[in-house]
Amino acid sequence: MDKKTRDIFITSFLAILFGLICSGIMILFLGKNPISTFALLFSSMFRDGYTIGEIFVKATPLIFTSLAFAFTFKANLFNIGAQGQFYIGSLVAASISLLIPHAIAIPIAIIMAFILSGIWGGLIGFCKARFKANEFLISMMSTYVALNLMNYLLRTVLLESKGEYPQTDSLSKNTWLFKIVPHTRLHVGFILAIVVAILIWLLLYRTTLGFRIRAVGQNQEAARMSGVNPELIFVFAFFISGGLAGLAGVTEVNGVQHMLLQGFNPSIGSIGIGIAILANANPIGIIFASILFGALQVGGTIMGQISGVPSSIIDLMEGFVMVFVIISYFIRNKWEINREKKLLTEGVK
Amino acid sequence: MIVNLLSRAMMMSTPLLFGALSEVFAERTGVMVTAIEGIFLMGAWAGFTTAYISGSLSMGLLFAALAGLLVSILYAYLCVSLKQHQIVTGTAINILVAGLCSFLQRVVFGVPLSPLTVEPLQKIAIPLLSKIPVLGPIFFNQNILTYSVYLLVPLGFFILYKTSLGLIIRSTGENPEAVDVSGINVSKVRFVAVMFSGLMCGVAGAFYSIGYLGMFTTNIIGGRGWIAFAICFLGNWNPIGAFVGTIIFGLAEAFAILMQSSSSTFLPNELFIALPYILTIILTISRKSFNVPAKLGSAYVKEN
Amino acid sequence: MEKPFFELKDISKYFAKVIANKDVSFSVNRGEVLALLGENGAGKSTCMKILYGLYRADKGEIFKDGVPIIIKSPKDAMRYKVSMIQQHFSLVSAHTVTENIILGNVKGKINWEEESNRIQHLADKYGFSVDAKKKIKDLTVGEQQKVEILKALYLDANLLIMDEPTAVLTPQEIDNLMNFVKDYSKQGNAVIFITHKLKEVMSVANRIIVMRNGMVYGNVNKEDTDEIRLSKLMIENSIEELEKPKVDELKKEVCVSLKNICVKEDQEIPLLNNISFDIHKGEIFGVAGVSGNGQQELCMALCGAQKINSGSIYLNNKDISNLSIKDRIGLGMAYVPSDRHRYGLVMSMSLAENILLKTSYSKQWSKNGLIDKKKLKDTTNGILKDFRVKASGPFAIAKELSGGNQQKVIVGREVENCGDFIIFDQPTRGLDLGAINNVHSAILSEKEKGKAILLVSTELSEIFTLCDRVAVFYKGEIQGIYNTSDLNSEKIGLLMAGYKNEGESING
Repeated sequence: MDKKTRDIFITSFLAILFGLICSGIMILFLGKNPISTFALLFSSMFRDGYTIGEIFVKATPLIFTSLAFAFTFKANLFNIGAQGQFYIGSLVAASISLLIPHAIAIPIAIIMAFILSGIWGGLIGFCKARFKANEFLISMMSTYVALNLMNYLLRTVLLESKGEYPQTDSLSKNTWLFKIVPHTRLHVGFILAIVVAILIWLLLYRTTLGFRIRAVGQNQEAARMSGVNPELIFVFAFFISGGLAGLAGVTEVNGVQHMLLQGFNPSIGSIGIGIAILANANPIGIIFASILFGALQVGGTIMGQISGVPSSIIDLMEGFVMVFVIISYFIRNKWEINREKKLLTEGVK
Repeated sequence: MIVNLLSRAMMMSTPLLFGALSEVFAERTGVMVTAIEGIFLMGAWAGFTTAYISGSLSMGLLFAALAGLLVSILYAYLCVSLKQHQIVTGTAINILVAGLCSFLQRVVFGVPLSPLTVEPLQKIAIPLLSKIPVLGPIFFNQNILTYSVYLLVPLGFFILYKTSLGLIIRSTGENPEAVDVSGINVSKVRFVAVMFSGLMCGVAGAFYSIGYLGMFTTNIIGGRGWIAFAICFLGNWNPIGAFVGTIIFGLAEAFAILMQSSSSTFLPNELFIALPYILTIILTISRKSFNVPAKLGSAYVKEN
Repeated sequence: MEKPFFELKDISKYFAKVIANKDVSFSVNRGEVLALLGENGAGKSTCMKILYGLYRADKGEIFKDGVPIIIKSPKDAMRYKVSMIQQHFSLVSAHTVTENIILGNVKGKINWEEESNRIQHLADKYGFSVDAKKKIKDLTVGEQQKVEILKALYLDANLLIMDEPTAVLTPQEIDNLMNFVKDYSKQGNAVIFITHKLKEVMSVANRIIVMRNGMVYGNVNKEDTDEIRLSKLMIENSIEELEKPKVDELKKEVCVSLKNICVKEDQEIPLLNNISFDIHKGEIFGVAGVSGNGQQELCMALCGAQKINSGSIYLNNKDISNLSIKDRIGLGMAYVPSDRHRYGLVMSMSLAENILLKTSYSKQWSKNGLIDKKKLKDTTNGILKDFRVKASGPFAIAKELSGGNQQKVIVGREVENCGDFIIFDQPTRGLDLGAINNVHSAILSEKEKGKAILLVSTELSEIFTLCDRVAVFYKGEIQGIYNTSDLNSEKIGLLMAGYKNEGESING
């Protein structure tokens, strides 16, 4: 292992450790013992097969939303609107599954959710390309628009037949993503997520198209001078990004909820960004980071139920970890420079 | 009804102006305060909690400003001192603050049986002036924070364009190297600007909890910080532009509230709720000649 | 004996990848013009930035009048009346002259009228024709330099450090600058003049410090030396003279042809006005001029990055005026841009990826839809070998290479992809002599292969050594096209400054 890789492991480990320590200090304010709380957290995660399965269930949509952020990030674009694209994907998946209560709805839902939320995202890229608009702001705002669109549809055409709550009827069992492990909720969407992550990695690092996306991200002018049209890349990157976030909608609606609820999973987009930061936007790293965050959520939820520690401790923990991950970027860079400097001064003596 | 609408617009634009104006100052030094949403939220929570416990709204405002300052110091440390990516850092801090506020809310208040409320800031009618027809109720029957807006805009303009400090701020965002060469510490200028932004945005956040609603929920800000952030862009990094922008958004928000309460079935409520966000998108797209500070968003890295 | 005005003693400075300074010691006296001579990367700027407080030395001391002083920031340096003009001016281009000069030097409320009057007064006193109320972006480079000098005068500096001040000036502007430097030093002030140009050193300096690889290699009075001896001190290994291939009769075959090219932006003065010339196969066609007179736009128009408003461009008799950059690359047009960091390389990517950059659309790199890594690696290795690039291998990151080696990678890539026409825009700017030599021989070997070559350069010596014909650009127009042999530096200097001699030029 070279020194750079070693640094990545050491600093990432320390970032997570410090994140836990800070959250532990917060737990003290509740008058609880942080060590036993963490012990409870970890034992909750692995309580039984069901909870272990749940880790991967929770990780599945996170893989998609963090891939969504990472993909545009490679083109030096910021898609902060994965939450909204996720809602669009959910809407599409729910509508199609309600319209066609057969198994064939699943592939149609996957494709249509990808395309329509891809278009929703691609429009952001188009605004950037055509009007030089700030994609960060527009993607941010698009989430609120998508949320209100969803609320409107859930109140009107998609409203359940009882007409009581803003949610759809349950989907026909035919349209549920099938389970891959019995006695858990773990569904085939997880496999889909892994495959997509690997495909995204291949696209980015093994094809000339992916190379061009990264080139635009690293040096837009040089890419333009080499015949690449950065504007097309903007639209394409945002299309893919939106599509990826939309897939999270399919796996959540068809795989977990089996219906569409108003404002569900409200922080899946922002946590996705956090995971992408932790994984340095590497698609393979994202798989593991998502599983880690999935585990924290599972443990945290159970812990919130059986002890007095609220599950918001998980958000807190994730926030602290992210901040320390950012500090670790700085430290790694510092170490690298110091190593080179040392090498140099030793060479002089 | 129009008077009522405009009066409400003035009120709703107040926190946006606090946010946008302070963002103008920070961005003119080259730092986007992308933690603005989190700072708003922190201010809303700290303001409410302090006001609830102490029973004093002014204590609430003070602690909201301090809480905002603390978050901004963390942000400035990461982005200015450690020179990390501003958007990435802001996102991380916003997540952290969201978790922190809902956790602390639980720590302080447990699980309350009925919603906790405080009496929000009262309107203070200015004698004589408030009696002027139309203009009086719009401009001179507001709460103390809204009044301070009338001072802040000209003051902000004066500082930015007529003082040595303003020249330094404007130069830092355009060409930090020139500032460095002139013997001014670029990081210090940026750090202080972000801290100033933290103070102002903390107060802005508190406006929502104790200046208006009299209560706190974890989604109380709902993207208002981002709208203030957008207004700074749309107002061309200029205090006057920010003022115009906040009035437009204040109007949109007041209009949305009015339409919702009038329960018209002509257009869906959700459209009005989304109006400020849609407006931001439209304005961002149609805004042509941007006057972006040249080095906005990039850290000043000097080899050493 | 009188103590020196300023003295540096045993200054050492290490950067992450280079030793910038190693035990540098020298001094400057009142009334003296001291030249700091050395190649790019010799450490001249670094040790001056230490004296000016922009960098902190890892080791060493600074004395003023024999008393040790500590300079932690430019503020300290200003207190000791030291001023430094950076190579790339540090002016805020969106601000006015006045705003730039008083930045950080006034307190509280600013009375703009009063301040700009004071600065206008100062400018007039020194005979600098600069409008204090104009914005920097509306000034010429020469005027911008005057603003920098004014800033030093505004601060009453007694030691003025100038980093490569002549790089962007016309020969006539250089003369004016030299006169100012001489006058200023006669008033008891000191000037440190950083340069790599031997001629300037001999014309302006009283004493010369020669630096190489971060160390001082010579400290001589002007009277005791000459250009040849200085160049030997400055350069590690002497460089073999290039032999210019004999200028045969120009092949008659035209490769590239420009007809009445105009480029305008926003209805203002045209950036390029009515540009027409032909480049023949095997010809090196030079474009001379002070930078910023349309050369950049010309290159951009040729490679397809700049839309032309009227006129047409032909490559091998094919009208390519409306083709995209991608299509022009496909036709074999190669381009070595002047700003390699911005346009030429993706600094954070590997060398192999940078080789792929220009031809990423070409089918040759694809195998089953994925990048053929082996082929890419082999091609890269070949280029590294052919151009003697010093790098750890094809997967080294571009930014880890020195400027000269980066440029060799670009030249290697462009030569590899070149069909019939190659543009070299300032190909040797900022390179050391060894790398310059490499680039020049690459250009000549392309000429021998019969390619049409456009060489844009602000270095007149480069134009004279390499080009067959030269067009002089001034404000977006061609002042004239000449056989290089018919020109001398004085004549070309006048043309570059906008003086046109009717009837002397030959036809393009």
